[in-house]
Formats: sequence, structure tokens, C-alpha cells
Amino acid sequence: MSHNPDTETFAGNPSNRRRGSAYFNTLLARPESPALLFLILLLVVFSVTTNGFFSASNFLGILEQVVIIAIVGLAVNQVILSAEIDVSVGSVLAVCAFIYGNIAMAYGGNLLPLFAALAVGTAIGFLNGVLSTYGRVPSIITTLGALFIYRGLILLLAGAQVLNVPKSSRVLGLSDLAGIPVSVIVLTVLTAAFYWVSNNTNWGRNIYAVGGNESGANTLGLPAYRTRLIAFVLSGSACGLAAAVFLGQIGQLQATAGTSFELRVITAVVLGGTSIRGGRGSVFSPIVGALLVGVILNAMTLNRVPGTMELFVLGVLILLSVSSEGLRQRYLEKKI
Amino acid sequence: MPDVSSPSSRRLLCALRNVSKHFGNIQACQDIDLELYSGEVVAVVGENGAGKSTVSKCLYGLYSPSRGHVEVNGKPVAFRNASDGEKAGIVMIPQELDLFPELSVVENIWMGLERPRYWHGAFNSSAMERRARQLLHQLGLIVDVTTPAKLLSAANGKLVEVARALNANAQVIIMDEPTASLTEREVSNLFSVVRALKRSNVAVLYITHRLEEVFEVCDRTVVLRDGKMISDRPADQETEAGLVKKMVGRPVEQLFVRHFHEIGDVVLEVEGLHSGSTFQDVSFQLHKGEILGISGLIGAGRSEIVETLFGLRDRTAGTIRLHGEVANISCVREAFDHGIGMVPEERRTLGLILPFSVKNNVTFSSLLRFTRGIFIDTAAEDKFAEKAAREVTIVGAGLDDPVSALSGGNQQKVVVAKALARNPRILILDEPTRGVDIGAKSEIYRIIDGLAKQGHAVLMVSSELNEILAMCDRTLVMREGRLVSSFDRKDFSPDEIGSAAAGVAVNPSVA
Repeated sequence: MSHNPDTETFAGNPSNRRRGSAYFNTLLARPESPALLFLILLLVVFSVTTNGFFSASNFLGILEQVVIIAIVGLAVNQVILSAEIDVSVGSVLAVCAFIYGNIAMAYGGNLLPLFAALAVGTAIGFLNGVLSTYGRVPSIITTLGALFIYRGLILLLAGAQVLNVPKSSRVLGLSDLAGIPVSVIVLTVLTAAFYWVSNNTNWGRNIYAVGGNESGANTLGLPAYRTRLIAFVLSGSACGLAAAVFLGQIGQLQATAGTSFELRVITAVVLGGTSIRGGRGSVFSPIVGALLVGVILNAMTLNRVPGTMELFVLGVLILLSVSSEGLRQRYLEKKI
Repeated sequence: MPDVSSPSSRRLLCALRNVSKHFGNIQACQDIDLELYSGEVVAVVGENGAGKSTVSKCLYGLYSPSRGHVEVNGKPVAFRNASDGEKAGIVMIPQELDLFPELSVVENIWMGLERPRYWHGAFNSSAMERRARQLLHQLGLIVDVTTPAKLLSAANGKLVEVARALNANAQVIIMDEPTASLTEREVSNLFSVVRALKRSNVAVLYITHRLEEVFEVCDRTVVLRDGKMISDRPADQETEAGLVKKMVGRPVEQLFVRHFHEIGDVVLEVEGLHSGSTFQDVSFQLHKGEILGISGLIGAGRSEIVETLFGLRDRTAGTIRLHGEVANISCVREAFDHGIGMVPEERRTLGLILPFSVKNNVTFSSLLRFTRGIFIDTAAEDKFAEKAAREVTIVGAGLDDPVSALSGGNQQKVVVAKALARNPRILILDEPTRGVDIGAKSEIYRIIDGLAKQGHAVLMVSSELNEILAMCDRTLVMREGRLVSSFDRKDFSPDEIGSAAAGVAVNPSVA
């Protein structure tokens, strides 16, 4: 096709930036990079200032601590990217843990309870998703309802039950491979899988499209409902997997387990740079966010800061990160 | 322009056969028969609400017709959604930019399409980028394809949408008012793209309000009125006046309304106004009873100036004087208090609360007028809204209906009525007639004229040169954040204003 050679008007300002600076800007423009920079800074500062912080065992400890939040965060991140929200994961995690625990106590083993927990989590996620999309109920309402319903069910049906899971059924929480906890390996594999799927499947790309510009997505005929439904389903399944790790780590369970877990997950996602409005964020956001929280809480413990400070610190962190994001966006708009 | 396509290459690509669409008991379009051949540009004109967008939505599959069917390559098809239409080669480019703001240009060009993959299943991003660069090169656009779409200008965004349509192997491209947010120069570049599409045997369905475009770029014109097809004729057999007559179904009235109005003292004086890097050193005066235009290309800083005057944007230097006294306007409330009203550029996002009723939209920025103690005097509010709606002739919905039910032109009148509700002495209009049909346009001009006659001062930002030429007493021209010249009405010349805005020397044809 021939074209008008008058390219000047169309071109605006073609960028003639130097390669290095362009690379730097691209890196800086990534949603998770401020949190990552802050994380690295904290790692350096704590390594210098805090006794016992800089050691392999402490780092593995931190990883183990954040692994449950990170697993569920990976999936909830996709829900938030699609401009929906899932606040039910605390209760869903507890339901899945009860399923896991009961089946492990009745039949033993690891795979059967894991599959049962995954199946139940997936089913709950599916229900949340169908209601929030085809059912046209706003997802904040659907999942708020789910948060109460599933917690209520546990209190009703198993309020007095005390679960003690046999050691043989706690592989995901206790065992390690070559010195690395199995749960951390699971998280790594899962992160890689999410990264691949997000970049290399239509669903992964559609999530950003649907969350970033819904009317645009409709004009192109993208399957908005199905895209979001899959994110909700993944969120439920992730709760099933996280429940197995959770029970594996602590071994016993009460009806109040996982209370306010959903808020920690959302905290990790948002701290990691995913916009709560959807459409903007990275697969790595929940990982970086969860690590940030884990590192800060660990350093607080090592420095004997009372645990009662925890919530206060988390709150300040959220407000700081979100307000600094606005400033960063302004800077980037000038730069690019 | 010579038509290179021989008659034999003229191939029927798709057609609407006897298509009707109704929503409940509202008939949006009725018995539409339209054929599209390869390599032709077909204009669809009509007033707002005439059924232009319904017809196009039936064609690309967003709506399924209530009666009749769509035909592609001679076979009837039943699209279930827009992506079915796209697979059949019919792609829509909507009026408002519909890109995905956070995603890169490459991602936007491939969104919803089959992306190339490596043998191991991963998306082949380098092939995707290569294709994107190639398409943009064809369209004469040079941008970094990894730039997020939110950083593109309106004109470049439009071209990215065209690139995506080409990437979808479009045989038929529907363009809904593609030039609505482009400047004259960008428009002429878009036209060369449309002509290139035509040469490559793509059919373009071109929906527009600007009739001069019809004659510049279209081969055939289809006129719709009240959901029915009024005519379908070659463009060279039509005249602008004839089209307007068919569109409105009544004799053409004068579009622009302008009466003599007396110009009084200076009411607003701006001196050395800066706002960061968006505009610098802007000085001008606005008089009582004057209509002052601000002309220029998009991105020249015009909207930013009026936003600063209205307190929506911080100024970094300069003074604003109102009636000779320095005014420190740092927020909208202060602008209101100084008697400044504004009709913003984007009526759907900035001007209206769409689910609210017409009445609430008209009164909601001036509720204090109807407040007794802490309660709103609804009777007074009703009375006021009724009077305001009558003055600006809002038609198409009752006062209590949501404003979203109105056509674009009538929505715009609601925004004007809202701005007038505070009885401003200075009214700022930012693109007051964008995306508005001819009838409503004329009404808006009548309102502007009436305001000037009553002694209000009007500051009008507009990309439509005709509008500036016909309505203004004086116009300022902006380029790249600076005020480059100013013309009095007696010196108005489209060429000089255009070239001042574009920064090109006037062709010295006389010298």
C-alpha cells in the first residue's frame, strides 16, 4: 500500500533517546519496580543494621512466612487487574483448610486432601465468578457475601472442631528439597507459570484489556465475562493450594483461621504496584509486595519492635506507596 | 483523483439486506439496504439519532438485527458479537479513542487477534513488534511501538486503531467520526490514509457530521433520517445544501447565528500566564460582550489555558485580572465566585453525570440557589430547570429522565444550561459543538450569540475554523504552548489562521 510521504505530522516527536536511558525508563515504568527498589534498599539497610537478618536461614524463613499470601496474591492480582476484586479469600482459605484437614485425618496422604481442597476452592471461585460476571452482581458484593457465608458455615458446622493434621500429611508445609522448603519451590513454579500464561495466552493479555478499558474490550468482542470468570476461578483454586501449605505449616486449625487474610493479600498486590482500578500491574506485584511486608515484619521482630505495631506499619506503608505512585506517574509522563 | 480500480475489480464485499433494529418499542433503524463494494468510501450522514451508529453496529456484529440480515461475500451471516464481524473482515473504529491505555502500541495492535507464536507456544513478541512497525510505517506514523497507548495524541491513537484494523485483515473498515478530535492538518493526513485504504481495495464506511469531508474523500453518500434510508447516491451528484436538506427533512436554516453586539470594557485580563511546560507567557484581554476564539492544533495548550482560568490547573506564573482587580483563582469554586462558567471539552466525563436526570444535571453546580437552610427547595429547582431547559431547547427526554437518554447534541445543551445556571459573566466554551448534529449546533450558536448580546463575555476554544470565523469577534492562535498571533474579525482569513496554528509560512502566492 502506498502512503503519503508526509510523515512529519503523524510522527509527533519520534524518540531519539539513547538506548541506555530508554532501557532505564522502560524498567522504571514497570509497575512493580518502585516496590522492588524499596525492597532492595530495605534488604541492604537491614543487612547492615540488624543482627541476624542477613542469613540464608532467615531469608528462607521470610519466604516461608509470605508464601501463602504470595500464592493467593498471584491469582487475586489477576482479579484486580481485570478491574474486579475478591475479598473472600480469607474465608475460602479456611474452608479449603478444613476440607484438607478432615480428609487428611480420615484418609491420610497428601494428594487426596490437596485435590479435595483444590476442587472446593475452584468451585467457590467459579461461583463467585459467575455471580460477578454473568450474574451482574458487583464483585465487591459477591465476595463480601462469600466472605461471611463461608466463615459462617465453618462456625456453624465445625465451630468446635479441633483439627490436628498428622505429620505425614504436612509435606507442603514441612518438607524441603535440597534445603529449600517445598512451599517456596511451589511458589516459584507457580509464579513462573503465571508469568508465562499472562504473557503468552489470549486470556493473559485480555485481562489487561478488560481491566484497562472495558468499552474498548467490548468493541473488539473480547470475552470480558469469561476472562474475569477465569480470574475468579484461579483465585479460588489458589486458596485450595494455599490451604494445603497453610495447614502443612501450622498443623492445626481453628474456625477463625485466616481471618483478615484477604486484606493482607490485597495489601501485597497493591504494594507491589498493581492499580486497584485495574488494567495496570505486573504478575510479580504480589510477590514483591508480599516480600516487602515479610521483610519489614521480620526486621521488626529481630529488632524487638512489639508485634502490636504491625498493623500500624502496614497501614502507613499502603498509604505511602499509593501516594508516591501518583508522583511517579507524573514523572513518567514527562519523561516518555 | 483518478480512480485506478477498473469496474471488474469492484467486488461486492458485504451488504445489509432489509435490516431493521428495534429496542423495546423504539425503532432505531428500519429496512436498511446497503451494499459495500471493494475500494469505495461510503459516507453515512444524518443527524444524531438518525440511526447511523445502529446501522454500523448491525453491520459489524455488535447488534443482531431484529429483522433482515447481513451478507458477506454474497452469503447471509449471523454475527453473534463484534469478534465474529471482525473475523469476517468487518472492523469498527469507534468515534472516541478506544485503545487500552496501559498497554503498548504493539499490544493494542494485536488485541483480540491471533498472535504469532513460537514453536514452543509462547507469543512471538519480536514478530508482533515487526508487524506493528510495518503497519504504522504504511500509515506514516513513527512512534516507539512499546510506548503505552495513553501517551499517544488523539491523531496518532486513531492511526493505531487503523493499524489494528489492517492487522485484522479488514475488508471493510467502519470509521465513526474519525476526525472529531483531529485538527485540520491531521485530518488531511487521515484522508490520505483513507485514500490509500481505498487503493488497496478496502471498503470504508465513513460516518461523519462534517459534510465538507464527504465531498473530499467519499465516493458515495447515504443519508439516514429517523432510522430510514433517505438516499444513496454518488457523491459527485450531491451538494452540501442538498445533503443537509435530506438530513433534516426541512429547508436549511442558517447554521451560524450572529447579531451585532456591543463590545464594552475589559472584563478579564491575563498577563504572562504560565503553567509548567504546557503553555508559557500567555497574555490577552477579554471584553464585555465579546466572543473571543482560541484557535490552534490539538495539544497547543488551548484547553490548558481555559482550565487554568477555571481553576482546574495550577498556574506557575502570571496574573489574572477580573474587572481590573487581581484574582487568585486556584480552584473551581473561586472561578464560580468570580462569575466564570465553563463548558468542558469532554461532556460525557467532565460535563455530565450520565445516570442523573436532566434536571439534576442542570442544577447540580448551582444548588445553593435553591437551598433553604440545609434543605433543597425542590419546587424552585424544578421551576428553574424547566425554564433553563426551555431556553436551550432540550428535546428528546423529560426533565426527570437520565441525561444519558439524550442525543449528543441535547446532552451538550444540558451542559450549557448547567454552566448558565450560575449566571456567569464570563463563559468559557471548550469545543462546544464537537460530535453535535447540525440542528443542535445551530441552537448552540444561537445561545452563544444571545449571551454576547446580553453583555456576557465568551471565550471559545475550537478546532473548527468555520466556527471561529463565523462566530468570533477576535481570535487568538496558539501553537506549542504559546500565543502566536491574534486576528480581529475584519482580518479573518482561514489560510492565515491555519498557517499560524501549524507554524508554516503563508504561501506567498500574491507576492
